[in-house]
Amino acid sequence: MANVIMASSKLISPPSISISSVAPTSRPKISLLQVSVPKISKTQLQSLSSSALKTLSLAAATSLALAPPSLAVEIEKAALFDFNLTLPIIMGEFLLLMVALDKIYFTPLGNFMDERDSAIKEKLGGVKDTSEEVKKLEEQAAAVMKAARAEISAALNKMKKETQLEVEQKLAEEKKKLDAELQEALAKLEEQKIESIKSLDSQIANLSQDIVKKVLPL
Amino acid sequence: MNFLLCSINTLKVLYDISGVEVGQHFYWQIGGFQVHAQVLITSWVVIAILLGSAILAVRNPQTIPTDGQNFFEYVLEFIRDVSKTQIGEEYGPWVPFIGTLFLFIFVSNWSGALLPWKIIELPHGELAAPTNDINTTVALALLTSVAYFYAGLSKKGLGYFGKYIQPTPILLPINILEDFTKPLSLSFRLFGNILADELVVVVLVSLVPLVVPIPVMFLGLFTSGIQALIFATLAAAYIGESMEGHH
Repeated sequence: MANVIMASSKLISPPSISISSVAPTSRPKISLLQVSVPKISKTQLQSLSSSALKTLSLAAATSLALAPPSLAVEIEKAALFDFNLTLPIIMGEFLLLMVALDKIYFTPLGNFMDERDSAIKEKLGGVKDTSEEVKKLEEQAAAVMKAARAEISAALNKMKKETQLEVEQKLAEEKKKLDAELQEALAKLEEQKIESIKSLDSQIANLSQDIVKKVLPL
Repeated sequence: MNFLLCSINTLKVLYDISGVEVGQHFYWQIGGFQVHAQVLITSWVVIAILLGSAILAVRNPQTIPTDGQNFFEYVLEFIRDVSKTQIGEEYGPWVPFIGTLFLFIFVSNWSGALLPWKIIELPHGELAAPTNDINTTVALALLTSVAYFYAGLSKKGLGYFGKYIQPTPILLPINILEDFTKPLSLSFRLFGNILADELVVVVLVSLVPLVVPIPVMFLGLFTSGIQALIFATLAAAYIGESMEGHH
């Protein structure tokens, strides 16, 4: 809506000035037409646009209010579907860009990433292998520990036996000594006993003689 | 004719208000042929951005990636993923094509929205996204057509043309028509979306210069990305379709 309003205001304003500027505007328009006709002839809309241009020029010549000359220029050049050499050039540029990007980006970085991937996978596999190795090593360590323990216990047993033997030997020796001393002491005691019994016998005989002497008075 | 003039007038007023120059080109002459200079200039900038950033980021790849390399690795993974889901296991050789399509269209679209092209004044026309021009989109679409024909022919030889009578020979005309509709829809979808997006933003900016156009600009960025993805995905899908075996 606003567009329409502005359009009407814009369209109303030009004629007040246009009368004085008919000559200067019409001259460049002719030159524009001369330039534009061959260009238009290339496009497919030749008949339509040329007829439009004719009417436009007619309209501009008779009443400037309907179509200002600048409009003719814009319509003539508004070429949205203007195919030309740009298309193959862009194709070529694109192909060159593709080759260049492939050389400096896709292939090197892709290879690099793939290599890194495989390296990481290899390392991961290696880690799994080493876990087996670690198991083996652990088993080895356990075996070594077992052997060491056995050794130690054997040594301990041996030492125990040795010390026990020694102690028993010593004990036996002591016992023998003690027994010998005991025997000696007993033998001595017996001897003394016999001696004292002997002396007692003699004394008894003496005493009995004495008693007899005393009791039996003569 | 009156109707034509009326519509022309409203169009003209729209142009005046928005200040956008639709379908105006800055022509160069190359050997008697005309080219759209603004498209070429912006496409060179886009290509320079792509090559420069790729060289910078991938120059010296590290095992543990840092910022730039990380981003480019992410992009490559994304492109590989798109190619793989559409083409299948033999996606490898097509990664450069799909990737370049995606990156070129994506950077082109975003350059139209983000780079201040309007600062550089041209004698005629104006700088905008390269995908804003029908030549670019048709070029890319035609390359896609060539690519999927090449894919099918190299995979199956002349047996590739057997797909035209595949479900039943009655569908032959439709199958042939498909080869024309594919590039047509590809190119016009991209062209229309980007042109409409830029037009909407420009018209809104000229009507309400502050705040209001910002959501539309973000929407435009979103649309641009989506369009790049759609183009690349469809191209990959067409290639995959022509390579897949119909036993």
